[in-house]
Amino acid sequence: MLAAVAALWITHLDRVVTREFQGRLWSIPARVYAAPLELYVGAPVSANDLEQELRGLHYRRGDPAAGPGIYQRVGNAFDIQSRRVRFIDELRSPERVSIHADNAAVTGMRLASGEDLPVFRLDPPVIGSVFPIHGEDRLVVAPADVPPLLRSGIKLIEDRRFDEHHGVDFYGVLRASWANLRAGRVVQGGSTLTQQLVKNYFLSDEQTFGRKATEAVMAMRIEAHYSKEDILVAYLNEVYLGQDGARAIHGFGLGSQYYFAKPLGELEPAELALLIGLVKGPSLYDPRKHPDRALARRNLVLKELAEAHLIDAQTAKRALASPLGLRPPGGTYVPAYIDLVRRHLKRDYAEADLAAAGLAVYTSLDLHAQAAAERALTQNLQRLDARAHVRTEHLEGAVIVVEPNSGDVVAVVGGRDVDASGFNRALDARRPIGSLVKPAVYLTALESGRYTAASLIEDAPIELKLADGSVWAPQNFERQVYGQVPLARALAESMNLATVRLGLDLGLPKVAATLQELGLESAPALNPSLLLGTVEMSPLEVVQVYTTLADGGFRTRLRAVRAVLDEQGRPLKSFKVQVEAVAPPAAVYELDRMLMLVPTHGTARDAAAHLPHGLVIAGKTGTSSDTRDSWFAGFTGSYLSVVWVGYDDSRETGLTGAAGALPVWADTMASLKPLSFDPVAPETVEERWIGFNDGLETTATCSADAVEIAVPKDTQLPGNPKCVSTPKPSVGDKVKEWLKSIVH
Amino acid sequence: MAQEYRALRRVAALGLVVNLSLLLGGCPSPWTRPEPQRSAPAIPAQPAPAPPSAPAPAPPRPQAPPRENHLSPATRSLVTQAHTLLAHGDIDGASATLDRALRIEPSNPLLWIELGRVRLVDGNAHQAEVCARKALALASGDPAAQGQAGKVLSDALRAQGRNQEAAQVESRPYMH
Repeated sequence: MLAAVAALWITHLDRVVTREFQGRLWSIPARVYAAPLELYVGAPVSANDLEQELRGLHYRRGDPAAGPGIYQRVGNAFDIQSRRVRFIDELRSPERVSIHADNAAVTGMRLASGEDLPVFRLDPPVIGSVFPIHGEDRLVVAPADVPPLLRSGIKLIEDRRFDEHHGVDFYGVLRASWANLRAGRVVQGGSTLTQQLVKNYFLSDEQTFGRKATEAVMAMRIEAHYSKEDILVAYLNEVYLGQDGARAIHGFGLGSQYYFAKPLGELEPAELALLIGLVKGPSLYDPRKHPDRALARRNLVLKELAEAHLIDAQTAKRALASPLGLRPPGGTYVPAYIDLVRRHLKRDYAEADLAAAGLAVYTSLDLHAQAAAERALTQNLQRLDARAHVRTEHLEGAVIVVEPNSGDVVAVVGGRDVDASGFNRALDARRPIGSLVKPAVYLTALESGRYTAASLIEDAPIELKLADGSVWAPQNFERQVYGQVPLARALAESMNLATVRLGLDLGLPKVAATLQELGLESAPALNPSLLLGTVEMSPLEVVQVYTTLADGGFRTRLRAVRAVLDEQGRPLKSFKVQVEAVAPPAAVYELDRMLMLVPTHGTARDAAAHLPHGLVIAGKTGTSSDTRDSWFAGFTGSYLSVVWVGYDDSRETGLTGAAGALPVWADTMASLKPLSFDPVAPETVEERWIGFNDGLETTATCSADAVEIAVPKDTQLPGNPKCVSTPKPSVGDKVKEWLKSIVH
Repeated sequence: MAQEYRALRRVAALGLVVNLSLLLGGCPSPWTRPEPQRSAPAIPAQPAPAPPSAPAPAPPRPQAPPRENHLSPATRSLVTQAHTLLAHGDIDGASATLDRALRIEPSNPLLWIELGRVRLVDGNAHQAEVCARKALALASGDPAAQGQAGKVLSDALRAQGRNQEAAQVESRPYMH
């Protein structure tokens, strides 16, 4: 009877173990790649950029004839032997190429054979590994990537008889018990790596006999099913190595990034020894909190490694003398971006396909853009925090950068602590968008055919009785009233009263429909306050809407994943770039011309100081009520970016969109060397000059406040009598006016 | 069965490439044509300042000279590669290579025209239509590019059974 119960229990544990481990451990993780750097004559890559890129890809200086992965630089001329690389659309053999670049761009490229080389891409950088179907924050290490010293070192320190035992080391248990008994306290643990793995996966930390027995049986079942190699790799990817705030650091891959900011394969023996030593007590030996203890523990491990001849005496001596070598986390660990990659994998691919082993995920991440956005956000938030010295709470922020034509997401920053994988504000913080909503109102106006950028609207107080009986009386940000203003000025200066009047005239359902056309996924509530942006959106959703504005009315599905290839290099079936024509190109063009006035004549005038001289941009500031949210959404000819700045608990920041988000946006954009925004004018529209204040047609030089707008061809604009002569009204018009004067 | 289908698609792809070259007839395709001399820069002349005392008539608005889009050496080589891939029936590869070209010249209508053609071969007439519409928007002022984009658009519309709309496109001036 007892035997039967025991058998049932063991069968049950067996099932639990295999079910959990099948999907989780024994799939080889997918490798994730950033976008390769594309080189061609004129590509904005300087000689120093190129060298930095090559080093990042671990190309070394030397004689390129000696083999792949070696380059030589003489002045601004590079001689490179590339590696064998798999790209989405080709498997490229090593090639010998010579590239010239000056301090701004690539100036010449050819093959070693002398043949002209019109275009050449470097290796796509690896940015991590993921299990595509269970979304965890791991930098998973594949078996081939485990350094030999780690493999043997971890066994030496944690489980000497790993290769012999069957999950439980009875001899080890006896030895440990004896040692503990003699010491009168716990000085040794008898757990094998397999038991530690089981404990990590299934069990709590309580030390009871029942738990120990379960652990032992599970460990033996695992050993019965899987190879030592599988178990070791699983262990290395699972073991707990420390705590970063709320985030647990599991696995040597992530540990290596967290403590040393580099991939596991590049760790020196001293660094590996530190990580191996940490397993015994990640908080006890925390090298950041207790450097002395951590150093002593590391050196103990190093001595044991030397005694076991896993490292030679010379190496040990050098390692023992070296400092801890901790580095702030950074490098190419991009949790916020990987987060989006996981979501897009789920969205665009069949789960069954993603379960295959050894996939390669090609993303559109641009490491330079990512670094630029991270730098711009952290630096500006530090500066802004210093301004509000009474506050203890830190400002937070998020940045997304995309290429509007392709929908490629090139950078995602989810918060000021760019290495933390916690709350991803770029994707999940849904906040009121404030005046970022206004372009949708003005686009609706232009689409209606009843308004142009020069049409006058009334900026005057307005009171509305709402459905619940309350009265809504919006105000302008500066609490002023501007009277008759042209649309172009009302948008550039973000006038609330004029916009509310315009929106009510058009109708809330029309404005809401425009927003949804542009890319807002759920229907917004039809309150008048929608016109001032009480609708809540995440930065990612804002990006989707503005991408349509930057791309002439074509809505392109945003994507972080360009392709997924299987082990044989064949692409998995996915949804291709989905583009839809959603707004008339002419109206979008007229709107874009208005958005170009925001940085020259409107609320984003401060941007110019941060940007290269002469760079043309378009965009819109946004500030939610009581300055709780500071936004800027804008685009150049190359990139579109959306920035949000605020507190996590929605307190007032005292920052407008221009003061908080705009500098982050402009600093990010300036680092990307973008082209000017230069949309192609549809044949049905033309550019005209009007007075920014009065909306009357003028010439470029006649009025001091002349601005260029776009209107449908042959639109009759009232002219400024000092500058242009308005075409004489026809007899019919005169009659109409005369009739009007009689009626009134 | 799947293989047969793939083989069929390859034949279709080859057919299209051949058709395209036939269609273009005597005039070589844009990617083999020698680089055209860039016409005078398309910057509209600034209207002369008017003396404030004497209001001048509204200055005649300058007509933009016709533009001519062409491919850079980098994108031209990628388009050639895409054609090779397509001729081998590798639609995904051709599409990825054109994506690569579009990252270099995102507003070049000739690349959107190419992508539209690949979508047609792939049997995705709706996406081909959108690519062609985008090409048309970007080709504003360039009758040659407009003509090519218009052809892809009308093909895409016909493939969706929207013959009347296709006929309308075909009657536009740049189609002749």
